[in-house]
Parts: sequence; structure tokens; C-alpha cells
Amino acid sequence: MAELLLDSDIRIWVFLPIVLITFLCGIVRHYVSVLISTQKKVDLQQVQDSQAMIRSRMLRENGKYIPKQSFLMRRHFFNNEESGYLKTARRPAAPQPMTDPNMMVEMLKGQLTNVVPMIAIGGWINWTFSGFVTTKVPFPLTLRFKPMLQRGIELVSLDASWVSSASWYFLNVFGLRSIYTLVLGENNAADQARIMEEQMSGAAMNMPQDPKAAFKAEWEALEIADHKWSLKDVETDVLQKAELELPIDIQSYANTA
Amino acid sequence: MSGRVRTRIDRGTGEIVAYSDAAVRNNMAVIEYCRTSMAALSGATAGMLGLTGLYGFLFFFLAGLVLWVMLLLKAGSKWQQYFVSRKSLLTSGLFSGLFTYILCWTFLYGMVHVY
Amino acid sequence: MYYLSSRRQIEAKMATLDLDWEEVRDTLRTWREDNTRHSEEVVDMWYYCLRHYKHKLGDERWMVEEQVVIAGLDCNRLDVAEPCLVSLNEQFPGSLRIRKLKGMRLEALERFDEAMDVYDGIIRQDETNSSVRKRKVAVLKGQGRYADAIKELTEYLKKFMSDTEGWQELCDLYLKEGDYSKAAFCMEELILSNPHYHLFYTKYAEIKYTQGGLENYELARSYFCQAAKLNPGNLRALYGLYLSCSQVASSPKCTTQKKKETLRLEAWALKEITEKYSKCRDVDGSKIVETFRSLSVTDKA
Repeated sequence: MAELLLDSDIRIWVFLPIVLITFLCGIVRHYVSVLISTQKKVDLQQVQDSQAMIRSRMLRENGKYIPKQSFLMRRHFFNNEESGYLKTARRPAAPQPMTDPNMMVEMLKGQLTNVVPMIAIGGWINWTFSGFVTTKVPFPLTLRFKPMLQRGIELVSLDASWVSSASWYFLNVFGLRSIYTLVLGENNAADQARIMEEQMSGAAMNMPQDPKAAFKAEWEALEIADHKWSLKDVETDVLQKAELELPIDIQSYANTA
Repeated sequence: MSGRVRTRIDRGTGEIVAYSDAAVRNNMAVIEYCRTSMAALSGATAGMLGLTGLYGFLFFFLAGLVLWVMLLLKAGSKWQQYFVSRKSLLTSGLFSGLFTYILCWTFLYGMVHVY
Repeated sequence: MYYLSSRRQIEAKMATLDLDWEEVRDTLRTWREDNTRHSEEVVDMWYYCLRHYKHKLGDERWMVEEQVVIAGLDCNRLDVAEPCLVSLNEQFPGSLRIRKLKGMRLEALERFDEAMDVYDGIIRQDETNSSVRKRKVAVLKGQGRYADAIKELTEYLKKFMSDTEGWQELCDLYLKEGDYSKAAFCMEELILSNPHYHLFYTKYAEIKYTQGGLENYELARSYFCQAAKLNPGNLRALYGLYLSCSQVASSPKCTTQKKKETLRLEAWALKEITEKYSKCRDVDGSKIVETFRSLSVTDKA
């Protein structure tokens, strides 16, 4: 395998610029997406539904810590046939993403900041730096990787581990993702207080698209939830543990009391 | 740190362990930060040293192992206070770091050894 | 005049302390993130230190000023709160967050009706703003209108039913009104939200104990026991356990087997309390335990 010798001008004028351009574009893209993203409006009904779901889930998970009577009372609130929260809720069916103009705009914005710049810059790089062999990956690769790593260069005899400029760009796009979190991550959590305040309404974001189906599932889960009071044996438990350490002399206690 | 408390059953002893969800998630985020930095730095080192082929990958796993040991040393004997499991500390995110590692490795290797 | 001179003294003192403004900023930041108020300290730190460095804070300045406004209103230091509020208002005109602060200022001035109007206006604009709804409850509570506050808060909790802070407040309001069974309901809700927190158990047990009746005493005993198990240092739970045990044991309806068990638990609780107090150096533990015993004797009589 004959070694190729690359002109060191390629390093300065192709190899490095691609890295820089990808990195800086990523950062610009991050800030642009911050700039154009709008605050998501949630309506009261949605908040209420999601909060009810959270409460019902907590009841299922932790219901064993409250007395049986209380557990049944709460389950009745959610599940009874006539007026139970999960039973009577009549919510409009989930809006189709395509018909809701707001959602369309949101999707468009997402596309605009993620996919479009990648394609645009990829195309531009492909056009400007086309046909350069930029670098070599330091490990051997099979021939299958040739179309992936040597886009734009159709040389049959070239070893698979050489990378063309277009492919070097795509390698950068994927590899730099976690670097962005390293660089930008700290700025993201800047405003703690607002996050605190939005935690309540923010829970609504996790609400599934179709509240009706979610309510039905929750209703079923709650219906079969069994109440087994976990505090039933706590006294004997504590006593047993205490007695293992030191037997309580109940006789002497009774005498002194 | 406040936040919801979750429980899980300890497989070894069968006891219920309570932990704060938010705190554990915060710790994981910090670990992720360390891991990415480690991948980038070790990739750069491997590239400058001119490691090729299997040696480079061995170096990556070695670096991951060293990071794990360092984290355990930092956490000390009270690691249970900070993490749910020790093994997941080693394995989680190991492969997401691999991409970063390969990029840095290729970059520095190209800069130093190819031209 | 005296006031002025003493302030100057304090100022001189603070100057000699030579607080590093970066340190102060970090302290305030931790408090913000932990959601703890420390109002007096915040006001002092702002007034004697950070006030002079606000241009160095960058974007954090606005968050610090918000914190200072709330702290200043807490301590009735309007001289501190108002300038911050003014500068915030200039920076973010029309922001709902600032309008809430303005409402809080009106509250501090005891102009409750105007504050209420401000809050209602915010809710009209942003229906899901939970903190403003809670402020409305606070206004009613500040006026001493507990029944109205309860009504408002229950309305709020119908919408935001997994808000633990709200349940906690409702519990306290019900306790103020003496409605123990409803307060107990709220505590159950809190236990559901965080079943590993011993103080919730203690409070629930206390409410049950106050309600009285054998069944409630037994419940109280179980919950005190759980609290003591979760945190062996919870002296209040141990004491409650001791009292509820003696109540259960003294009940005529209690079976002998149960009574024996309960007495053992009582003995254990007393032993734990005695041990805890004997470890204290400053307090004479034996005396406290003596008092305890005499208490329980009168209880049984």
C-alpha cells in the first residue's frame, strides 16, 4: 500500500475550515433555535388533565402508605361510574398535527433549524471543497465503507480509510453533537427560577396526544390496583429490630412506671 | 436538592432503596459531561501519539476504564449515596462517546501524521 | 439620627468584613436554586455589597433583583425592594413575572384589593399561571379570611391537583380552622407524593392523635412508628409514639394480646427517648424522663 502524500495547503484551506465551519454553524444554529422558538401555550384543561394523571399514578404507586379507607376514597374519586374523574372526562380527540396551524409552524421551525442548514452547508461544502482527499482515518476499513467515506471521489484503487471532504463534513456533524452539549450545556440551565415556576405547567408537555386513551389506560390500571397497607407490620418490625439489639425488659419497665 | 423521590428494589438484599430522582439525574448529567470531555481529550491524545488500528480502540476503552476508576475514587466508599449502580457508571454512554473519540482521533491524526 | 449612625456602623462593619461580591453572588444563586428564601440575609447582602456591583452581574442581575424584591417585601424593606422593582420594570415592561412582583408589593403595603386586581389581570392573560393563583390564596390568608382562603385554595387544587405545596398550605389552613379530618386528607395527599419523608408521617399521626378515638390512636401509633423507623432521630415521633401507645393501652376496648404488644412498644419508645436525652450534655435527661413518666400517669388516671 503506497502512502499518499497530501499537500499541506489542503490542511489549511480544506481540512481545518470544514471543522471550523461545522462547529460554528452548530453554535449559531443553537442560538437561532433559541431565538425563534416560541413559548408553548398550554390551556388550563390540559394542565388539569396531566396533573390528574400524575396524582392518579402516585395513588397507584404509593397508595399502600395511606389507610385503606383513604385509598378507596381517592380511587372512588377517579374511577366511580357516575362522576369519576377518569370516567366522565370528555375531551376532544387529539388534533391532527397537519390541520393545526400552530403545530405546523412549530414543525416547520424545527425543520428550519435542524435539517435545512445541514443540507445547505453540506451542499455548499460539497461544491466548494469538492474532490479533495482530506485525511485518513487511523484504522483500517473494509471496502464497504468506500461510498460512505469517499463521497465525491471515484477512485477504485484508493484505500478505504482515506476520507473525502464531503464525508469529512458528515463525520464532523455527527461527532460534534456531544461536544455541543459540552460547550452549550451550561447556558441552557441558566434560569432556574423560571424552570421552577414552569414545572407545574410544564408537566402538561408530557401529556400524551390523546387524553381519552390515556385516561382509559389509567382507569384500568387504577381499577386493578390493590391496596396492601404497608404500615400494618411496622410496629412488630420496629420491635423486632430493637429486640435484636437489646431485649426490652418489660418487667422492669412496668415496675418503675 | 428537592424533587420526586423514587424507590427501587435492591437486587442483592431485596431491600427497598429510596432515592431522589432529580439528584440522580443531575449526577448522571455531570458524568455525561466528564465522559464527553474524556472522549475528546483521549481522542486528541491518541491522534497526536499516532495510534492506529486496534491500539486506538484499546486506548479508548482504557481511557473509559481510567475515568471509571477515578470516579469511583472520587465517590469513595459512599458511592451508593450518589449513584444507583456502579456498573452502569462504566457502561452507560460509553458508545456515545465513541463517536466523539473517533472524530478527535481522526482530526489530530490527520493534522499531525497524514500531511 | 441614632438609626443613621447605627446603620453607618453596620456598613463599616460590612466593609471590614470585605465581602467578595462573587462569593455573595454564588450564595444567592444557590439559594435561588434550592428555592429557599433567607430573606434577611438576601436583603443585607444586596444592600451592603451586591448593590454596588450590579453592572458586573450581566444577565443574572435581573434574577438577583427579582430575588431581592421578594426578600425586601418579606422583611418590609421597601427601600430595598422598590428600586429593584423599578429597574426590573424598565427592563421588562409588560412582563407577567414583574406584574406579579408589583402585586406582591401592593400586598406588602396591605392594599389587598388592588393586589387582587393585579393577580386577576395576570390570570386572565395566562390561565395556567399557578404561582399567581397561589398568591391570591396568600392575600386572603394575609387578611385573616381563612374560610375564603380555603375556598380559593380548593378551587386551585381542583385544577392543579398534584401541587404538593398547595396541599401543605391547605392542611395548615384546615388546622387553623380546626377541621382535622380534612387536614388529615391533605396530609395523606402529601404522603402519597413523597412516602419517604418522615415529617409528613409525623404530622399525619399528630392530626390523627388529636382527632382521638381508639381507631385513630392506633392509626397514629402506626404512623408515628413509621416516622421513627424512617428517621430514628425524630424525637417528636418517638414522643408521639409513646403517647399514642399509652392511649391505646389504656383503652378498655383493647385486647390483652394487643395491650401487651403496645406496652412493649411504649417501653421501647421511652427507652429511645431516654437514650437520646442522656446523650445531651446541656440538658438533664433524667429530669425530662421523670416529667414524662408523671405525664403518662396522669394520662392513664
